[in-house]
This record gives sequence, structure tokens and C-alpha cells, in this order.
Amino acid sequence: MIELRQASRKYQQGAREVYALRQVNLLINQGEFLSIMGPSGSGKSTLLHLMGGLDQPSEGEVFLDGKPLHGISDNELTLLRRRHVGYVFQFFNLLPLLTAAENVGLPLLLEGLPFSQVKLRAESLLQQVGLAERTEHRPDQLSGGEMQRVAIARALIANPAVLLADEPTGNLDSHTSEEIFLLLKGLNDQGQTIVMVTHDPKAAAYGNRILTLKDGAPVQDIAIGEQAA
Amino acid sequence: MNLVNLLRHISLKHVRLQKAQLLIAVAGIGLGVAAMVAIDIVNVSVLRSFAESIDQITGRAALEISGAESGFPEALLERVQEVPGVEYAVPVIETNANLADGSKRALMILGVDVLQDHQIRNYSLTDEAADIPDPLLFLAKKDSLLLSKTMAEQEKIAIDQEIRLQTVQGIKTFKVRGLLNPEGPARVAGGDIAIMDVYAAQLAFGKEGRIDRIDVSFLPGEKLDPMMARIKQVLPQGYTVDTPAGRTRQVEILLERFQKNIAFTSTLVMFVGMYLIYNIISISVVQRRKEIGILRAIGARRSEIITLFFAETCVVAALGALLGIGLGLVFAKLTVGFVAQYITDVYLQTSVTSLTFSPAMFVRDAALGILASLVAAAFPAVSSVRFTPITAIRTQASAGDGFILSRKIKITSALLLALALALLAAYRTAAPGSDFRTTTVTVASAISLIVGISLLTPAFLQGAMRLFHRFLSPRLGVAGRLAGINLHKNIGRNGVAVGAIFFSISLYVCSANSMHSLNISMFDWIDSIIRADLLISSGSPLAAGGAHSIPMPASLGEEIEKIPGVRMVEPFRKGYLTYQNKKILLEIFDVALRMEYCPGMFAEGNREEVIRLMPGQDTIFINEGFAEQYNLHPGDTVVLPTPHGPVRFGVAAVAVSYSSDAGVVWMDVHTYRRHWQDTLVDTYELLVQEKSEIPQVRQAILDRLGQERHLFVLPALEFRNEIKKLLANTSILFQAVNILVLLIAGFGIVITLLASVLERTREIGVLRAMGMKKNQVAGVVIIESALIGTLGGLLGSATGLLLGWIAVEGFFRLDYGASIVYHIDFSAIAWAILLSTGLAALAGFYPARRAAGINIVEALSYE
Repeated sequence: MIELRQASRKYQQGAREVYALRQVNLLINQGEFLSIMGPSGSGKSTLLHLMGGLDQPSEGEVFLDGKPLHGISDNELTLLRRRHVGYVFQFFNLLPLLTAAENVGLPLLLEGLPFSQVKLRAESLLQQVGLAERTEHRPDQLSGGEMQRVAIARALIANPAVLLADEPTGNLDSHTSEEIFLLLKGLNDQGQTIVMVTHDPKAAAYGNRILTLKDGAPVQDIAIGEQAA
Repeated sequence: MNLVNLLRHISLKHVRLQKAQLLIAVAGIGLGVAAMVAIDIVNVSVLRSFAESIDQITGRAALEISGAESGFPEALLERVQEVPGVEYAVPVIETNANLADGSKRALMILGVDVLQDHQIRNYSLTDEAADIPDPLLFLAKKDSLLLSKTMAEQEKIAIDQEIRLQTVQGIKTFKVRGLLNPEGPARVAGGDIAIMDVYAAQLAFGKEGRIDRIDVSFLPGEKLDPMMARIKQVLPQGYTVDTPAGRTRQVEILLERFQKNIAFTSTLVMFVGMYLIYNIISISVVQRRKEIGILRAIGARRSEIITLFFAETCVVAALGALLGIGLGLVFAKLTVGFVAQYITDVYLQTSVTSLTFSPAMFVRDAALGILASLVAAAFPAVSSVRFTPITAIRTQASAGDGFILSRKIKITSALLLALALALLAAYRTAAPGSDFRTTTVTVASAISLIVGISLLTPAFLQGAMRLFHRFLSPRLGVAGRLAGINLHKNIGRNGVAVGAIFFSISLYVCSANSMHSLNISMFDWIDSIIRADLLISSGSPLAAGGAHSIPMPASLGEEIEKIPGVRMVEPFRKGYLTYQNKKILLEIFDVALRMEYCPGMFAEGNREEVIRLMPGQDTIFINEGFAEQYNLHPGDTVVLPTPHGPVRFGVAAVAVSYSSDAGVVWMDVHTYRRHWQDTLVDTYELLVQEKSEIPQVRQAILDRLGQERHLFVLPALEFRNEIKKLLANTSILFQAVNILVLLIAGFGIVITLLASVLERTREIGVLRAMGMKKNQVAGVVIIESALIGTLGGLLGSATGLLLGWIAVEGFFRLDYGASIVYHIDFSAIAWAILLSTGLAALAGFYPARRAAGINIVEALSYE
């Protein structure tokens, strides 16, 4: 599903090189729900960006469903992102001028499908995430939890190989957060591969595997059952 | 298909929110397209009217033979008639007269051979048969004429009625023998035409023994080129033998120069529109950065984002083009009369009764407007995708300033500035007539300069803010310090606003200084050449239309000399020569008399040489434009066409003159009369014994001579002042464009500051929460705005000074063919900076109100 081989990401800060990620080897299988944890600056989001094609490794290789995400053109990377990855951000990142249905349908609109067709699928997904009554609402008319649900629906519309969530509840209260985790858990139970970045151990427990990073490198990688043990 | 989706679901929503920006962009492009459309329509309409007039006048003539404007010997007619292959060769007098009564309007007089002319032209009379009534009666009664029915109805003139016309011989009475239906020649000049017998016209209009044209038809089977060659063989050199269409080609050449001025203005306006588009797209890119990041994150390709911005620009530009087409029609209607009058003055009475335009013309001009907009949008559109998706989502706009302050931009700017200087140097050192000695080169230099400095605007802002923080900020209180910080924080966005003000102020200062220089040069020139006390002509010397000036006989000068108080009378005659296929102005006066009281302005040679070499001799002096175009200097010779063939004239001097951009030749009146046998005078210039007696002398002239002819007797001082007023008024067009440009820049500032206020909503909320008062918040925004205006004004003024010099050297000089000294208008520069600061501060009021009115709680939770 997702594989990283000796993947590193470095940045230039003045005269020196800083490694946000250092020689990461990782394999994520289909149907897994991986939580990535670690302190601030450990490289969690950078790892997520590499997996989702939002960034490319400085060294090493990254594969998504066997397709390389390294060394390809921006065009190819973008299309892979559109068709195979669903992204959920901490701050929702919905387009404020679009309705919920339009926000959800954006990836398919980018493919050039007519809106009449896209709308049906979008409404179906909004129903799935419990927002059937909110299809024509704009983001400023939705609560934080509702916005994140719309974002999740958007991430699912293209039937992605993997859903990547970067601190999806970072901006939500605990009750709403739990609703979102339950939603994600439900999707995983249906076979959706999920990778979630979180700093909250309770959130990580919703997954079935936890990867802990420190200073850009994995320090622990355990299945949830093992942890319990 | 995805582009349509993006346009519909994203772009359209932005449009609904940003109607003001949309309207401004549409207006900017619309004005540019309107100017192009107006030029095209006026050009085609005037040429079509002129060509129609020619067709109507020339009828079935295959060739026209013409010579000097004052006419040529009628003896040549026989020579042409005897050329093998000529079916008919008929003489024509083509001149103007004024009605002495009623509306006193001008009409064209066509003098024709009433026995033969119907072989060339069709005449249709309102009554009786098709032919001219009793040709013998026409020949016997020299006062006979046929009037167009159109004019007769308007002036309420009937058949057999007498009318009085102002002629060279004074006011004469003629009898209307028939009315012409509006067909053929009777349609020319909007129907303001009368037909006379050619010999009667010669007498009435001082052309005894001369004709203006010979119209020739061929025998069946004869070919054009051989006939042309045969006819040229029997004529002296210097005569024009051409098809009627050839006259239209001459007018096209004449219009080319005239249109250059208008084209320059339209390019300027289009440039403003382009800058506006650049400004609006740049701000849109900044405002929509996060949106672009989100779209990129979920799978929009770079090319799709760039195409989206191009598509949005296309839509706006298309709307602007539609508006421009409508406005262009209006502008054309308002301006076509001026151009037609210009052609009338030089060639032939031309009036445009309807505008000519075509869909292809509109499509072409609209396409140009859209293309210009796309060019303007290119840089911001391409730069919209230079960030990675995550960077675009997460960071503030200021984080992207690295690119606009990058070495690449600075190097590009330096290269453009170097190109500007290189083009200017090439222009200055190029030989006259070379490809580098053209307005294209100077315009390219100006554009390189403007674009080069525009690219440096963010770096300039950054440098200026450093100085501001160091020297001014500590003195301005919290609001001033915050304003400086805010400007410095977002160099990209604020740089665009400074750039908009810079652009408009540089145009303002450029046109103020170049017009100031032109006016000073021309005023000095007018003062140097109009030194008489009184000017006498038979039509108002200031009239741009309406009554034409009818030449006066030489004998009138002798009568004027006898009037008490008159010290000296000097004749002035004006005409046009065709030299190397171009019309040049020929001005004739008594050199010995004129040089006594009129020093003139000489670029080469001097007044003494002129006095020594010219009176009665085959010597001329020429203007700078003519000298430069044909590389002539004092001591050289030039061959000019005369009615009796080409004559070689020596060049005595080169003078400064702004009369004509095509070239001016001055000749002594005795020399002119010897070669042209034309003793008519257009204007008498008088010196009086005592300056205090000017009004009395004027009245005496009117009393003595005013009965037999209408005369305008104008004190020269009054004439000079009126000319100066007319010149000053021509700069009004440029001022109007400048004000428009400034207003548009002002709107650009409003848009920029509104965007800034929006982006800083949370920050403003925090400041208000900590205790900053509403008026302090407003003060920050207004000070920011004023700073933008001042900085743009300073940069614009400096650039405008240089652009003004380029305009004077490279545009006006080529346009007028005369040196113009560059004078700096310091008051205009001071006004420019005051205006830019004030206008910008004013533009900041609305955004300042928005900022001050932000709800604190909402602002703190704003994302």
C-alpha cells in the first residue's frame, strides 16, 4: 500500500542542513489504521506529506500502491494525489465560498465530471457522515465538527487508496473529537486505509498501529494489541 | 470541462464578492479597446467618404492629372487631348467659396467644361432633361451656376434666384440656373457644392489661364499603364498622373501621421488597462493563496490553476472589449468631424455622413484587448503556483516575498533598464531615416523603463521602509510605527499598490513636462513669427471649420497700404506641394520685408543669410523635419515641382517650425509668383505707424474694404493669445487621460488596502482587545495608504521626468519635426506628489472604516 525506503527530507536553514525526516523505512498495509505520534518537530506532518504526495523526499523512495511518489513530475504527483489520496487537515481547509456539496465534490470537479453527477455522489457521502441536511450550507454556516465531516467526505469522494488525517481534531472540543474518531474508525472497519497524525495517545488508540517519531526518525512501531500487552 | 467547473463553482463566486474590482478591470480594458475601435472606425469612415467623394467627382475618368495647388497652365490640356488613346480630357477647377449671406457656409465650387463634362460625369437636374440646361446660356452668362438641391433646400434658394458668394474678386452675385439632384458630383461635401463653367470659375476665383486638374477617359481597349506613360511624356516633370484611387492613397499616408498621435493615446490607455489587470490578478492571487493551496493539495495541477486565472482574465477582458466596442462607436462619432476637417483643409472637402465599421474590425480590436489582458495577467498567474500546496495553505502572503525580491527579478529589472538606455542611445545616434530613428524605438525604450522600474518597486518599498523605520517611525507614534511595520511585512501586495501609483504618477509627470516643454517651445516660436500688428484674411484665421479663407488679390494689398496709419503691408500665401509622394507645406511671404520685423528661429543658418540669398532668387529655407528627413543643410539644393516643371532651389537655412510634421518650405513671394504665376494672398500682415492706433487702423480697413468683401481684421496680439489658448487646450486630452489613470490607481489602492485589512482581521482583533482605539486602527490604515501614495509618487515623479524627456526627444520631435527644449515643470512634480499622497490617503478611508469597525470577538476567532 504505502512504502517508504530510506526516505529523508531535509531543508536548508541558512548555511546548515536540517533533517525533518531521516532515513525512514516504513510499510503500511491495506486496511491499516496507523497513528503517527511524537513531540512537536518530530517530523510527523512531514512524513504524512511524503506519503500523500504533498512533498517529495530529498533522499530515498516513497511508493503508493506500487507507484513511485519520488522523482516524478509535479503533474504526475498532483494526479496521484487527486485520484489516490484523501486529505483531512487540522483546520478543515474548506473553500469558504463553496457549499458543503461543492466542497465535497471538488476532486471530481477537477476531473471534469459534470456537477449534476458529482452532486449525487457528494450528497451520498454527506449522508454517510451525518450531514444530509447540510449540503447547501457554506462553511461559515457549519460548526467545527460539521466542517471536519465535510472535509472527511471530500477526502473520500475519489475512493482513495489512503486517507491521511493531520491532527483532524486539533481544532475541536473533546466530544466532537470523539465523533470524528468514531467516524474514522468506522471507515477503517469498512476497509479504508487511514494514517492519522496526532499528539494525543487516546486518539492514537482508535487506530490499530502506532508509530512514534523523535527527531525525524521512528523510535517505536507497535500494533495496538502489542501495546496493550 | 474541469475549467468550466472551476469557473462556475469558484471564479463566479469571487466575482459576486468583488464586483468593484471586476467593474474597474472591465472599465480599464474597455477604454483601451474603445480607443482602438474609434481610431479604426474614424480611419475607415474618413477614407471611405474621401474615396466616395473622389469617385463622385471623377466619374468615369480613368486618370487625373494635377500639378500645383494654385493651378497649372490650361495650355497643357490640348497636349493631353492629343495623346493617342485619350477619348476625353476635360479641365476642372476645384475650389471653395463662402456664401456671403444666410448661413455664410462654405461650399465646394467645381468649374467644368459645360460642353464636354457630361462625357465624364453624370449630372441629374431636378427638372427637365438630363443635360445641363442650355450650355450656350452657361457660356454666355458668366454668373451662371448649378446648385445642389440639398444645399438649396437648406438655404431656401430657388431656381433663377441670385446668390452672393465671397470670391477672390470680392463678393459677387451669381444666378442659380438649375438644381442638381443628390447624385454624382452633387453628393460631394455633404451636398455643399455648386457647378460653374470652368472659365467663369477661373475669373471668379483668380485662376485666369490656369486649371486645377485634367480628368481623362480612354478609348475602349486602351490599358492603364501605357496610357499613363504616354501622358507623362507630354507633360513637364513634377505633374501627378494617377488614378482617382491614387488620391485616396495620399490621404492614407496623410492620416498615418495623424493617427499616430491617437494611437499613442490608445496604447497608453491600454497600458493602463493592462496594469490594472496585473494589479487585480496579483491581489487576487495573494487573497486566494490558501484557496490555491487547498486546490493543489486535493489535486489541481499547476497548469489548471494558471489556466483558471487566464480564463478569468479572458472573461473580464471580453466584457471590457464589449464595453469598448460600444464606447468606441461613441468616441468615433465625437471625433470623426475633426479628422474630416483635417483632410478638408489639406485635400478636398470631406464630410462623413455615416460611420463605416465591420464585425471583423470589432473582433480584431477585441482580440487585441483580450491578448493585452492575458499578457498583463501572465506574471501573477504563473507566480500563483510557485508555492508548494502546504506552504500556500499555512503561511501568510509575506512569506512569499522572497521571489519578488529575488536576484532573478532584480537582474531582469536591470536588463530592462539597460535595454531602455540602449534603445535611447541607438535612437540618438541613428542617422535620419534609419530604422532606429522612429517612435517605435522610443516607445519600446519607455516601456522597458516602466516595466524595469515596476519590477524594482518591491525592492524600492523595502529600502524605503528601512529608512522610514530608522528616521521617521520613532516620530510618528504607535499608528505610524504599526503602519510602517505592516507595509514592510507584506512587500508583495503593497509593492503592487505602490507600483500602480508609480505608474500613474509617472504618466502624469511625463505628460505634464512634455506638454510644458512643447507649449514653451511653441509659444516662443509663435512669438517669434507673429510680429505684425494686424492680420487680414477673408475667413477667420482661427476657424477650424465653417467659413473657409478665400484668397485675396494682390491689388488689395496696394489699397490697404493707402489707408492712413498703415506703415507696411506684407503678403502671406500658403499651399501644399507634393514632394516624393508626400504633401509638404509651402509658405510664401516677402522675405526682405518679413525679416525686417520678424527674427524667426533658425536651427542652421541665420537671418542674415536668408536676407542675402532669398529675395527674388531660387532659394528657400526649410524646417528641421524636412531637413532631417531628406538630410539637407544650408548650401544644399532641392528640386521642387512647379507648374512649368521641376526647379532646383538652394537651401539658405533650416528653421524651427511646428506648422507641419510633413515638412515646411518657405519661399520669397517674388520667386513664387515667377514660377507659379499665382498672385493671390491668403493673409496680409500689417505694421502700423503707431501701436496705439491699431484699433483705429483696423476700423478704417473695415470701413474702406468691408463692403465689397467679408474681411477678418485681427490684432496679432489677440491672434497669438488665441493660438496659445488652442495649444493649451490640446493638452486637455492628455490631462483627462492622466486624471483617469490616477483615479484607476486610486481604486487599485482601495482594493489593496481592503485585502490587507481582511488578512489582518485577527491581528486587528488582538490590537483592539489590547486597547487600541478605533480611530487609532483607522489611523494605521490611512498612514499606510498615505505612505503607499508618497512612495509611489516619488518613484513616479523621478521616472516621469525621464519619460518626459523621452517623449519630447523621441515622440514630439519626430511628430513635429522640430527641436523642442525640455523644460521641467516643478509645480507639476510637486502637485504629483501631493496628489498621490492625498489621493492614496483618501483611498484609505473606506478600508480604514472597515478595519475600525471589525467586531473584536469575531476577529479573534477569524481563520
